Amino acid sequence: MPVLSELVTIKVDGQEFEVKPGELLIKAAQENGTYIPRFCWHNRMNPVGMCRMCLVEIETPRGPLMITACTNTVADGMVVDTQNETVTKAQEAVLEFLLANHPLDCPVCDKGGECPLQDQAMAYGPGESRFVEIKRNFEKPIPISSLVLLDRERCILCARCTRFSEEISGDPLIEFMDRGNKTEVNTFPNLPFSSYFSGNTVQICPVGALTAKPYRFRARPWDLQMVESSSGFDTAQPRLSIHTSENEILRLVGIDSEPVNHGWLSDKDRFGFEYLRSPERLTTPLARRGDNMVPVEWGEALDMIANRLSLVIDESGGSATAVIGGAHGTNEDAYALSKFARTVLGTNHVDSRLDDALASQFLAATVDRALIADLDTADTILVWGPDLKETHPTLYLRVRRAAQELGVKLLVVHPRRTGLDDRATATLSYRPGGGSQLLEEIAAGAHGEILEMLGGKTVAIVGQAGAADDPRLAESVAAFVRDISTTPRIMPLAARGNTYGALDMGLAPDLLPGRVAFAAEAMADTWGELPDKAGLDTRGILRGLVSGDVRALLLVGSDPVGDVPEPGLAAEALELAEYVVSIDNFLNESNRHADVVLPAAGFSEKEGTVTNLEGRVQKINKIAPAPGQSRTDWAILDDISARMGRPLGLAAAEAVTKEIASVAPAYSGLTWDLLEWEARDGAVVPLEEVAILGYIPVRVEGPKAPGAELTLHSARVMYDGGVRLRHCPSLAPLARGPVAYVNPDDAKRLGAQNGSPVKVVTGIGEGEFTVAVDPDTPSGVVFVPSHQPGGAKLGVDPVVRVTVMT
Amino acid sequence: MTIWSEETQVRAKELISRYPDKRSAVMPLLYLSMAEAGHLTDEGMEEVGEWTDLTPAQVRAVASFYTMYKRERTGQYLVSCCTSISCMLLGGDEVLHAVESESGVPHGETDDEGVISVEHVECIGACGGAPAVQVNYELIEGFTPEKGRELVKWLRSARPDSINTDEMQGLFGGSTSFDWGIREEASAIGPYPAFQPFGTVEGKSK
Amino acid sequence: MSAPLVVTRRMTDYPGDSHTIDRYEATGGYAQAKRACSMTREGLVEDIKTCGLLGRGGAAFSAGLKWSFLAPERPAYLVINGDESEPGTFKDRQLLERDPHQMIEGVIITSVANEVHHAFIYIRGEYPKSARRVQTAVDEAYARGYLGKGILGTDYDLEVTVHLGAGAYICGEETALINSLEGKRGEPRLKPPYFPAAKGLYMMPTIVNNVETVSNLPHILEMGAEKFAGLAHEADTGTFMTSISGHVKKPGNYELGHGITWRELIYDVAGGIRDDRELKAWIPGGASAPWFVPDVHLDLEVTKEATAAAGSMLGSGAVIVMDETTCMVRAAERIVRFFSHESCGQCTPCREGTTWLEMILRRIEEGQGRAVDLDLMVGVSDGISIGLAWPPKMTTICPLGPSAVSPIKALKDYFIAEIDAHVEAGGCPF
Ligand SMILES: Cc1cc2nc3c(=O)[nH]c(=O)nc-3n(C[C@H](O)[C@H](O)[C@H](O)COP(=O)(O)O)c2cc1C
Ligand code: SF4
Ligand code: FES
Repeated sequence: MPVLSELVTIKVDGQEFEVKPGELLIKAAQENGTYIPRFCWHNRMNPVGMCRMCLVEIETPRGPLMITACTNTVADGMVVDTQNETVTKAQEAVLEFLLANHPLDCPVCDKGGECPLQDQAMAYGPGESRFVEIKRNFEKPIPISSLVLLDRERCILCARCTRFSEEISGDPLIEFMDRGNKTEVNTFPNLPFSSYFSGNTVQICPVGALTAKPYRFRARPWDLQMVESSSGFDTAQPRLSIHTSENEILRLVGIDSEPVNHGWLSDKDRFGFEYLRSPERLTTPLARRGDNMVPVEWGEALDMIANRLSLVIDESGGSATAVIGGAHGTNEDAYALSKFARTVLGTNHVDSRLDDALASQFLAATVDRALIADLDTADTILVWGPDLKETHPTLYLRVRRAAQELGVKLLVVHPRRTGLDDRATATLSYRPGGGSQLLEEIAAGAHGEILEMLGGKTVAIVGQAGAADDPRLAESVAAFVRDISTTPRIMPLAARGNTYGALDMGLAPDLLPGRVAFAAEAMADTWGELPDKAGLDTRGILRGLVSGDVRALLLVGSDPVGDVPEPGLAAEALELAEYVVSIDNFLNESNRHADVVLPAAGFSEKEGTVTNLEGRVQKINKIAPAPGQSRTDWAILDDISARMGRPLGLAAAEAVTKEIASVAPAYSGLTWDLLEWEARDGAVVPLEEVAILGYIPVRVEGPKAPGAELTLHSARVMYDGGVRLRHCPSLAPLARGPVAYVNPDDAKRLGAQNGSPVKVVTGIGEGEFTVAVDPDTPSGVVFVPSHQPGGAKLGVDPVVRVTVMT
Repeated sequence: MTIWSEETQVRAKELISRYPDKRSAVMPLLYLSMAEAGHLTDEGMEEVGEWTDLTPAQVRAVASFYTMYKRERTGQYLVSCCTSISCMLLGGDEVLHAVESESGVPHGETDDEGVISVEHVECIGACGGAPAVQVNYELIEGFTPEKGRELVKWLRSARPDSINTDEMQGLFGGSTSFDWGIREEASAIGPYPAFQPFGTVEGKSK
Repeated sequence: MSAPLVVTRRMTDYPGDSHTIDRYEATGGYAQAKRACSMTREGLVEDIKTCGLLGRGGAAFSAGLKWSFLAPERPAYLVINGDESEPGTFKDRQLLERDPHQMIEGVIITSVANEVHHAFIYIRGEYPKSARRVQTAVDEAYARGYLGKGILGTDYDLEVTVHLGAGAYICGEETALINSLEGKRGEPRLKPPYFPAAKGLYMMPTIVNNVETVSNLPHILEMGAEKFAGLAHEADTGTFMTSISGHVKKPGNYELGHGITWRELIYDVAGGIRDDRELKAWIPGGASAPWFVPDVHLDLEVTKEATAAAGSMLGSGAVIVMDETTCMVRAAERIVRFFSHESCGQCTPCREGTTWLEMILRRIEEGQGRAVDLDLMVGVSDGISIGLAWPPKMTTICPLGPSAVSPIKALKDYFIAEIDAHVEAGGCPF
């Protein structure tokens, strides 16, 4: 909040206001209660001043002057008239001009009822039109991508969609074509608007010109119910609002949250709700009878589980049981699971990561942890990890903006070209598996200019670029940045919507709720006695299942067979596991052969809190009923615990949050009231000065770059065969399938062209893929998107052989 | 993966070197690609994108803004009749109709043989010699409907492999906007402006 | 009346080879560029200020002032505006084809005066002959050391790039021209913030000057600021070229100096109306300018002030003369059609309004006119240029849109009867 002396005074319609210097007039006026009508201006994009709706008159020495409020900044002493005769005439004229060629199909238009053009025609319009000529006509809606349709007759040429794709998301695939009265928005022939962010253009289109296939004609704005929530796909947890009609989700709309997502969503965030109404959703508990899973009553299922788990514990102790999962639910679900494992099962074999993540204590509690907003004010942003455009889309947009609009230097380090490279000040690439070596070179001064870049306030976004990266590499990079930057800010990356919340609730063998390192006596006066035996992480648990040391496994919203990188390991473990219980939305590769599977409530079907990658806690809300007999994880666990004679004593979601606040140091002071009233944008924990684990990243010697002729870069991309995407009809087709990207030179050497079938063999896995010749992949590297439908697991071994199949 | 001939690629590099920023070369490269293919093809626009780091959509956005980038098949001779105010006052419309009826090609179209394209255009800066027409952007001033018919016949029969403005002015022209001075040696060889490195030859066509 | 010829002197005296470098050098060419190199920037800018040279591209803004506004950041660029596309205008074409070195010398002087090391000459795509002549001249100038590294034996470098347009009148507008030169759609930029003098080509300080404007510079240095200023009448300075076209006996370009009246210009200079018909109306400054009619304007002086006072402008110096046989509806339709066709399409009022006006006019001309159409056209015009005021109260980014209402204003002020005639006759009475 600037102090008064920094403000300038302007007079709008006779009223004086003090406003921030340099502020656009349209914004300054609005903040002070004067709404100037507009179509093309958008708060998150550079003004173009094209629609001319925001014309106002200002006083100048040479008399009154008409200007657009969206392109002119306030000046001290500025005198503005927003409604005199000239201005009104201009506004009426612009509206009449816009409506002249606009079809009158409001009754069947998706935008009808929430259309700025409709509204402003009412408010400022001249009444009926004097236009008697023939209206411009275009071929009715044309698909410009698999998700978006364009109706050019309705378009008012505000350039919002074209600016978004050029300025914000950086994939300029829709543009103005032709000129003058023939101007239209369009794509290049046969080159669709295939952007990960296309849905945003639908959201910001001020008329019904751009519509989303999944929403089109499905409802009218006035019979929608809405609640606020956060996306469950992206660990930045972009804020959104859920719109339903008759208890069914119709669309998700981004909310302009300053600290998090500026209103933007990826198409996965936006359209990835379809799975919720999939006919394959679990609706009743299932128990295995011989080879098939049959529906059973809740009571029966819970009894079976309680008895069997108790038996195992009596015979072999709590450490014969283990828990994998918890990263897809709420913090309340995660807390219940953590407490269940420690106090009911009596085990520390707990992990919400699936053997594909960074060290749990590093993720949970690094010192100098970065906020998303730090990106805007950094001197330099270092991205050394996954291609953010693929894995953390809204964070990608924020980094892009910082580099492009805010003059922040950007350094990108990744084995191949990433979505950010075109905005990077400098880029470095390395052979998969050779990251640590590159770090040593940089530290040794091999890239002087880069050392300089990192000197000031540096936000280091670190994670695993691909399967081959040593899990400790990211931590080493963080440690290095802390050494040379005056003001280091570290943002360690994890996948799966609520991983940070899960870790904060202690869902890792070495963590306890509230960013506390595990210690047997740490919770003596809250949870009481904790198991003393050190815990196993996911890989350890799977090995334990194979060896028999671990007899019973509880899966909560997790699919190790699908997710754990090492080929075969999880499959074998679940094959050999003596007893497996799963709480989930769907049957998947892992729980298909479980002993009992319980139907869980999902996104939009439950209330609670979640925590994003900067430690921001936000409230998510319930608006739709869970299908059939599905229930929330925490309630299910509470019931099992009661049947096992060690009740968790969790009464209601809000009560669970209260308990978290009272036992988890980093969360003390957190309440629903806070999140629903004072902190609408969420609250970053810890809220209070409390003792939490001050984990300092450490630098470790990593392996040298493999000498192999070809190395494998395998990493997740936006659309894969994940169980939720698989059940979203609009998104499932977007998965790339089994593809191997190779550089043109390598393709030549291998004698492969686009579409050639190849066999890719590593030390531990192999599979068949189709070649895509790709200049963005450096020669010597084969890029294979992981988790693709039909794509085999190749493991973490970077050394590959590729042979063309004939 | 370029679709351009060696020679065209050399010219493209030279054109880009004329500007501080390669995007500035988009317009000349679009002409170059017309010269290569006879008109501006989708492949041509994709190619220009490759050379200037733009998406094909961005290139099309630029190309479609300007009237001289012909994205439809265009004849060997593009006859542009000015019907803007000054030419209209002195019979520009009649000239257009004469050319259209003689050639059988209406505004904006091309004959089946791919020989002649006809269009009416806005002011071409020859108002002092109105009415005026251009063939492949080479000017004829002091024109008439009769000369319009003769011009079409001549183009179809003589099929000159290049168009020289002085030669045409001599054959079909009248009074000019100003004294043209000594003869112009360069001639146009396609429906795009004759300006090195795209589409000009020295010396008049036979 | 007839001032000594300045920018057309050489081509008048040596019609055969005025465009060649040998002729140019033989007639004192490039001497002033050499002198400029020995002068201080301040001195040069001061000279051009005092001589009062006004831009010849249409806006008639003082060249010296424009130079003095150039922001200090470098590199700075110079762009010569040779997009000449305003209907009725063909003067720059003559200067480009007949005396290209004169302009190039002007480019050198402007560059030296403003510390510019890369200049661009933007020539409209429909002028390939002009572009060839200029390119040849530029090549000759490079060859003889007037351009390139260390020009005229100094250590001053100056590169010149000739850029060909591709058919878009709006690229004559300086900021649209800059976008076009950057390889973008020729859409005018917002002012503020994109004033060329501060954020022009590649977002750097940029001077945009018209072909004729810079062609004057060598002569100003040669004859001296005062003498040059004295060539013209009162507030105007130097000579100016006017392109006369339409129904006159002697259409063409004329270089004028001391003030004359429209009557003298049309009847003496241009030889009067062809077939000695009656003069009906004329457009004094290019298609954008509000029209003049004999009873009201014939004896006004052809000066910036007098024309502005009468509610029009000299603009690009193009005079389009229409005799009694001219259908004013058709003439208006033709000019409105031009602006509608050339609108870049950014601004709603220009994009939709000009097309709407064109449709109405064509409807009237084709016999579908209605009694209410004049009011409708005035109403539509009102939304593009509030109150049809002069200078216009624009609802648009650039003046192209508002230019389209000039013919409507003329119909409303002088030719209502012709519209009625069309409506009654159910077609064009001419
Ligand atoms: C729609 C429009 C078209 C213009 N066309 C031209 C043109 O063709 N040639 C030109 O020199 N200036 C043209 N101008 C004026 C330029 O914007 C600019 O003022 C001029 O080139 C500056 O040069 P000067 O100061 O030497 O006149 C045009 C302006 C507008 C608004
Ligand atoms: S007034 Fe017309 S030409 Fe000028 S910027 Fe607006 S739309 Fe483009
Ligand atoms: S909102 Fe200002 S011009 Fe569109």
